[in-house]
Order: sequence, then C-alpha cells, then structure tokens
Amino acid sequence: MRAIRIGFFALLGAAASAPAAAAVQPGTPAATVIALPPMTTPDKGTKGNEMLAVAWQATLLIETDLRQTAEVMPLEPNRKDYYSYPEVTAPTFSKWRDKGARALVTGFVQSRPDGRYTMGCYVYDVEKGRELGRSGFVVAPDDIRRAAHKCSGLAYKEITGSPGMFDTRIAYVAETGPMNARVKRVAVMDSDGYNHNYATPGGTTVLTPRLSPKAHRLTYVSFQSGLPQVQIVNLDTQHQQPLLQGPAMSFAPRYSPDGSKIAFSMMLGANSDIYVVGENGGQPRRLTTSPGIDTDASFSPDGGKIVFESDRSGTQQLYVMDADGSNERRITFTTAAYGSPEWSPDGKYIAFTWRFGDTRRIGIISPDGTGEQILTRGPADEGPSWAASGRELVFQRAEGNGRPALYRVNLDGSAPRKMTIPQDGSDPNWSGTMD
Amino acid sequence: MRKLLLLTLLVAVPASAQLPGLRRRDPAPPAPVQNPIEVLRAAFAAQSGGTTVYFAPGSAQLTPAARTLLTNQAMWLRQHPEVAVRIEGHGDPTDTRNHALALGAERAAETRNYLILLGLPSAQVSAMTWGKERPGPPSAVTTLVAPALGGAPLVPAAR
Repeated sequence: MRAIRIGFFALLGAAASAPAAAAVQPGTPAATVIALPPMTTPDKGTKGNEMLAVAWQATLLIETDLRQTAEVMPLEPNRKDYYSYPEVTAPTFSKWRDKGARALVTGFVQSRPDGRYTMGCYVYDVEKGRELGRSGFVVAPDDIRRAAHKCSGLAYKEITGSPGMFDTRIAYVAETGPMNARVKRVAVMDSDGYNHNYATPGGTTVLTPRLSPKAHRLTYVSFQSGLPQVQIVNLDTQHQQPLLQGPAMSFAPRYSPDGSKIAFSMMLGANSDIYVVGENGGQPRRLTTSPGIDTDASFSPDGGKIVFESDRSGTQQLYVMDADGSNERRITFTTAAYGSPEWSPDGKYIAFTWRFGDTRRIGIISPDGTGEQILTRGPADEGPSWAASGRELVFQRAEGNGRPALYRVNLDGSAPRKMTIPQDGSDPNWSGTMD
Repeated sequence: MRKLLLLTLLVAVPASAQLPGLRRRDPAPPAPVQNPIEVLRAAFAAQSGGTTVYFAPGSAQLTPAARTLLTNQAMWLRQHPEVAVRIEGHGDPTDTRNHALALGAERAAETRNYLILLGLPSAQVSAMTWGKERPGPPSAVTTLVAPALGGAPLVPAAR
C-alpha cells in the first residue's frame, strides 16, 4: 500500500481560527443544507484550465462525501456558479442564503513548481456571514482525492462538531468460494472504496482485522500455524510478524488509541482471558482472571478503560474495567446476550452485537449501562465498528442466502445501507482519520 | 443447533497425503486408494464408537455420553501410542466470532484434559479451535488431518 503524505500549510491571511462553533445546532433532525460552488484556481492560461478541471473533480468528490452523511446535504455543484479566486475568501453570502444554504464551502487548487498541488478549503456560516474554518493541503496529483476528503472532513466537523470519516480506511475479511470452503483474505480499502488491496494471500484462514488508529498497521488472526494466532502487518512495508512467540491460541486483538499496545484474548488451558502487550511484543500482562470466556476487549478513546464481554454470569454480557484490569463492572443485565463491543471514538457509546436465540442485531449503550438502543433488525448482524465521526457504524450482515456483506448504519435510525465491495465481506473494522 | 467437537486422527504421513473432502480447494484425489491414515481413521472411529463429541449449546462441559465415548477413544489410543490425535473445537454459527473461537477452544481443552486424565501422554493429544470457521456436514462438523508432532503444518504455507 502506498504511503501518502499530505503536507499542511498555513493559508495566507490572518486565519480567524474560530473554534468549531457550528452555525447549526448539532443533532438537528433535518440535514444542514450546504452550498458547494465549484472550486477555483489562481493559475492562469493553460495551467489555469488544467487546474480548473482538477478543482471541478475535487468539488464533485466533496459533494459525494457529504451526500453520504445524514447530517449534511450539499446543493448540487453548478459550473455556472463560477467563483473567481478572490471570491473564495470573500463570498457573496446573500446569494447562498437565498438558495436555502446555511453553510458554504469554497476552495481552490493551485499547481506548485514541484509538480504537486495545493488545495485551500474554506467553510462559512452563511447566515452569520462569517468563516467557520479553513485548511490547506499539499498533495501529489494522484492524491487530490485525499485532499478533497480532508476538505469534506473540515466541512463536516465545522457543521456537526464531529470529526469526519472521509479520509479513513476500512479493513475487512474478503470471502470467496463456496460457503463450506471459504477463501478468506484480509482486505483494506479507503472508506470511499478506492485503493482496495489484499493484505494476505488467501491460502490461510484469517479473521478479525483491526486497523491501528491511523490505519498504517493492522492486527488480525491467522490460522497459518495450525492454531489461531494474532499477527501484525505494516501496511506501508507489508512486513508481517506474529504478536507473540510460542504455541498459545490468541485472538480478538485490538489496538490501544495511541497505537502502542494491543489488547487480545489468549487461551490458558480451558480458560480465555484478556491480556495486553506492547505492539512490538514483550511480556503480556493478564487483565482478567475469571473462569469462563472473557474476550473482545476494546479501549475507551482516552485509553483509560476497556470494555469486554464475559460469560462469567452464565451468558455473554458486557463489562467495563480500568485499563490495568481493576474495577470490573458489569453494564448489561438483560436475558439477551451481548458480544463484540467497540467503544466509540467520542467515548459516548459502546456498540455491540445483541443476540437472542439465533437472532443477532447491532445496538449501542452508554458506558454507564444506560440508554440501550438496538439499531438493526438482523437476523444475522454482527461485529459493529465505529466511523471516526462517532455517528455511524459498519457491520457484517448475513444476507438471505447466508453470504456475508458489509453494511453501514447511522445512529439516527435510518435503514442500513449495503457497501459496495468486490466480493463477500465479514469482520469489518473502520479506522480513525489518517494523517 | 447442537455443538460439536470432533476428534481427528492423525499419523506422521507426508503433508501431501490426500483424503477426500479434507483439504479445502485441493482437487479431489483421483482414485480412492486406501492409504494408511484412512485405515487408521476408520479403525479408530469404528472401534472407539465415533470421532465426534457433542456439547450442550454454549457449554464446554462433557456430558455422560461424551465421557463414555472419550473413555473408549482413550482405550484405543493407549493401544496405538504411535497415533497422535488433534482435537478440533467448534463454536456455534450464531455465536459472535470471537466467542465462538473461545468456546471451541474451551471444548477442545476440556476434551484433551479428560483424555489425559484417562492416562494418555499429553504429547499424544493436541487441541485447537476453529470457532465458527469451516462448518461441514453434518451440523458444522469439520474433519481435518492435523500435523504430527514436529510434522508438516496443517495449513499449507501462504502463497
């Protein structure tokens, strides 16, 4: 996988770096309408025409990004709404107010002597007529897509207060072949479906890929040794290595929010417990000691707590403990079973798989055990993973024919949407925003 | 759905030894030639009463029927100390992924512990879990030839 660098630079002019004081109250049921005139360029002549074409592509990418969200609705960009370069920083607010837009995104793309492009991105509150935020990115021509995602992320953040999930990756298990003899490979793609790559070759069963917070590394479970064991792969160099030495069965790995540690489950005889170890190995530290199955650990965003599932009460339930294994506390108490928890990036919720009989659904609950909500209808939904925005989840759903597919569901209660991937998919995992 | 745990036989044979339906993605063997491992597997299954141990849903506790079967298996294995077995645990397809892995591992470990309790050398019995991977007929039974001690890996090396 290509290493991509985006340089940030300070835009000219004293940036009125207003905090994310959003023009529109987050949580407003209706989507915020946002005006998105074509990006422009300060370049002249032939170069200017070339850059205008690039800028138009970027504008369309931003429209696609924002249209995927439940919170922001971009007006369709119209090439007739051409903006001159000076207008980027001095827009005519009344025009957009009249069209019903409450926010405005403008920007430009400029060629640089070194062959790269500079993109400037500006977000305005149309009603108050003031700037909400601005950012600039320097990218290789091939990476204009990522600069557009960064601009979408800025607009989303200024309007909703949540980080955008546009410049992120999704890892999952790509499945092919008949249901009783599946070929499983770890696949990684950008969240818009581009840059789809396979990280493992397919001769070995693999499970549960989990990206590092900035999506440069990946941990997963491989049966290559004949036992399930946690592996680590660097996506930039393709270097693979086992997390641990020795013949123990290990599984359910997950990165800490700073990427330095991995929590995982390991079998000691007939007992599955949760351990934590540095990403580069070392002596694992045991965090749980109960007889029975403790597994599926997930860190809180500050790294201070861990949510996990345990069947110590007789059924699978969710528990929260401090990251050193102390202060275990059960947070679910119904007759259903709760598994595969993942803590949201904003810390507010824990997503889980809810299971009752043979029915599995996706739900969320506050870390204190209140506010449980079931978001999907099943009957075979599993393995939720949060978008960086904390407002959306990706999960696995077995279709009527039993084949697994990836779906996204928003917390607003709208229907889940199927994602487009080249083959069947399971065990999805959504990264944080890349840098 | 009943939970299953399968006991598979293995001996030190080249990794290329093919058994019908045992190796995924490999073409079916051209002719059903009886090889030594098949003979041994058939003898083990027939003389010990079966290769599959069943559990109650969500449980890793051995039932009385399971103990009887394992006692017969242990008897046969004591008479064939050259034969190593690999116990492969399975969860339920409606389990979540990692709970199925852990439950399969628990069941395999309980089974292995019982065989060792019955006097088998620990080196003769290995255990692993498939979780809810590799379901097979009937009701998610899988049958795989496992590596002999120090033998070739079960799963062909990647690539």
